[in-house]
Amino acid sequence: MAEVPAAVSGGWAPVAAGLLGTLAVAAALFDGALAERAAGARLGTGRPVGEVARLLRQRRRTTVAADRLLWRIGGAGLLGMALMIVTVVPLGRWTLFDLAVGVVWVNALDVLAWAFVWLTGWGANSAYTMVGGYRFLAHGLAYELPLMFALVAPAVAASSLRVGEVAAAQQGLWFVVWMPVAFVVYCLGVVAIAVWGPFSPALGRDLAGGVTAELSGVDRLLFLAGRYALLAAGAAFAVPMFLGGGAGPLLPAWAWVLVKATVLLAVLVWLRRRVPALRPDVFMEVGWLVLLPAVLLQDLLVAVIVIGG
Amino acid sequence: MGVSGALARLALRHAHLLVIEVPGNWLTRVAVERLAGARGWRLAVSPADADILAVCGSPGPELSLVVASLWEQLPGPRARIDVAAPELVAAALDQAEAVLRDTPRQRRDSAARDGRGPDDASDDDIALAHGSEDRDGLEMDVLHVRLGPVLPDWPAGLVLRAHLHGDLVAKAHAGVVDAGHGPAGGAHVVGGGPSGEVGPADAAELAAQRCDNAARLLALAGWRDAAQRARVVRDRLLAGERSAATTELARLRRRVRRSRLLRWSLRRVGPLPPDELARLGLAPELTGDVWDRLNGMLSRAALTVGGPAGVAVGPVGVEAGAPAGVPVGVPATPPAAVASVVSGWDLATARLIVASLDIAALGVVTDG
Amino acid sequence: MALVAVVVVAGCYLAHRALAIARRPLLVSPFQSGWPPAEHALSRYHVRWYLVTVLFLAFDVEMLFMYPWAVVVADLGATAVVEMFVFLAGVLVAVVWAWREGALRWV
Repeated sequence: MAEVPAAVSGGWAPVAAGLLGTLAVAAALFDGALAERAAGARLGTGRPVGEVARLLRQRRRTTVAADRLLWRIGGAGLLGMALMIVTVVPLGRWTLFDLAVGVVWVNALDVLAWAFVWLTGWGANSAYTMVGGYRFLAHGLAYELPLMFALVAPAVAASSLRVGEVAAAQQGLWFVVWMPVAFVVYCLGVVAIAVWGPFSPALGRDLAGGVTAELSGVDRLLFLAGRYALLAAGAAFAVPMFLGGGAGPLLPAWAWVLVKATVLLAVLVWLRRRVPALRPDVFMEVGWLVLLPAVLLQDLLVAVIVIGG
Repeated sequence: MGVSGALARLALRHAHLLVIEVPGNWLTRVAVERLAGARGWRLAVSPADADILAVCGSPGPELSLVVASLWEQLPGPRARIDVAAPELVAAALDQAEAVLRDTPRQRRDSAARDGRGPDDASDDDIALAHGSEDRDGLEMDVLHVRLGPVLPDWPAGLVLRAHLHGDLVAKAHAGVVDAGHGPAGGAHVVGGGPSGEVGPADAAELAAQRCDNAARLLALAGWRDAAQRARVVRDRLLAGERSAATTELARLRRRVRRSRLLRWSLRRVGPLPPDELARLGLAPELTGDVWDRLNGMLSRAALTVGGPAGVAVGPVGVEAGAPAGVPVGVPATPPAAVASVVSGWDLATARLIVASLDIAALGVVTDG
Repeated sequence: MALVAVVVVAGCYLAHRALAIARRPLLVSPFQSGWPPAEHALSRYHVRWYLVTVLFLAFDVEMLFMYPWAVVVADLGATAVVEMFVFLAGVLVAVVWAWREGALRWV
């Protein structure tokens, strides 16, 4: 039985933020490389660097009668959300915030994406951004409940909402093995809160960029960085929840956490270009009639196994 | 100066362009897309996202106003290029790069815009939205939004005046920008000379345009990889690499046909029965839903390029309704038909339906 | 960590102030394919899926009970499982009914 991680002082927060940032940058580099390969351009990995430089040099904009405060809160909020999620992700023996209800904490945070994405769409006082914002809410109605029930499954199996104890409960057999449905639904949820790939109609080309249509300069940079950070934070949180935490041969526990998070993140990034978008109106029925019953059955199965064993 | 110079150099590796196509200049637009892509540049989806405004062709008076207003919406650093022909694209892109690189100039440009609000809309000029009953009998606000002429993956010149209930297109009227001015100077018509004969080069161009339209539809459906492949096929066709294009087109068609997710998302969207097509003045090849039309587009491309030279399967449309000035064999889509087929759908679906019509040219008759 | 988030965001804005070609944001009219907007976009928006939001609320409240239940279910045993899933099945029946009434479709 692995030891339950101990909380370290808040002074380590910049380190955790740095690790998250590194993961997010790696995701952006990988995504950039995939984009260049698809475009047949020279295989450079510097795309995110160039894009960041471009956005730092670019002037900010504000639109006529914009709701500026709400708009900026929405833009920067995603990044803040991602940082708050990783506080409860244990890195081997250490965790920043050993919360007794860590799972609920993450759940509460992921719902904030609704507010932030919608506010970014609403604040700009532009028809395209607003339609984009509401599209995200429509997606949210379909993905959020399955995501919540997916988070319950590991908690039931571990009889704890403490993330460290959930990770420790899967020594020997990772939860992903016997709750694959919950894992897949969780990954869908992560992709959705990052407004990524199949869940990107809120940023759709058909709406001239949707929620991001009016963002430029550092405002756009923060929003886009927030998306990558959320994807990275989601991948990192999957490690203690489904992928056995720091368990693994040879390498120390903290290294395994990073390796697993990186691999999952790479898969999520790769998925983006391969899959068409899921229109909110079509996905609504899938979310309620396929994902929700499936993940509830998964929960039932887990509960039965827990009381039986 | 060192830092800002280095920053400018890094930024220029990935400049973003907003491309505006004047109807009849699609080859120029394609050349801009291709050469910009080869430089590692990207296409912008909105002015906020753009560094370069690239106008392909010479715009008429109405489109000139649109371009001027978009130019004011670019955040800066900004550069505008006007490209008259495909062979001038490379030089124009070089010129844009030089303008963007010139930080002092950009600072001056930006400072000159300070304190000056947008000329077309100050806060007081814009009305508040007014209510109207929606289809559930609730009173909600209606937004009057014009879609086009400048929108990603949108047919050149088309303007759709939509009454939006939320994201539902309750009513729409369509027109063509600068309709009263005839084809702009240097306008190029796909598919042949005045004789109406179709040679191999024209066949390739016709096929390339089908691929371009398919790429737009795939991009709107959110499938980036497939859209990119369709664009590659298009560029190969235009470059005269016929055999490579044929192979890749066949592969793309297989891939699209096999994608269950795409099929599931496009099935039953925008169904058009033959009698309605006839009534609207649209070609019979457009029968079915968006999924059928996407596959139809790709198979027409394959037929056109794969068939014996001279046996070209043209873009779809109607011969009878084509306005004077457009040669036979290049049928035009009546804008009123576009407006009619999108009414009652939500914006995302409406965009898919417009893209699925495989528009080669628009009739200049408007429905007001 | 909240502090770190604030520092990161503030740092980005400061870097932008130092590096951008102009500090003040540019006032523009919102993008509308190149036309001036006819009216302010901030408005009473037709949310045509409002029925789903009601359904969502019902389920969301139910969901909150799952968390405490998850911690104690192993101790309470079969009765807890049966009670919870009978209740969930009831709510699922409501979802199916709503679907049959067309509440999940709005286009």
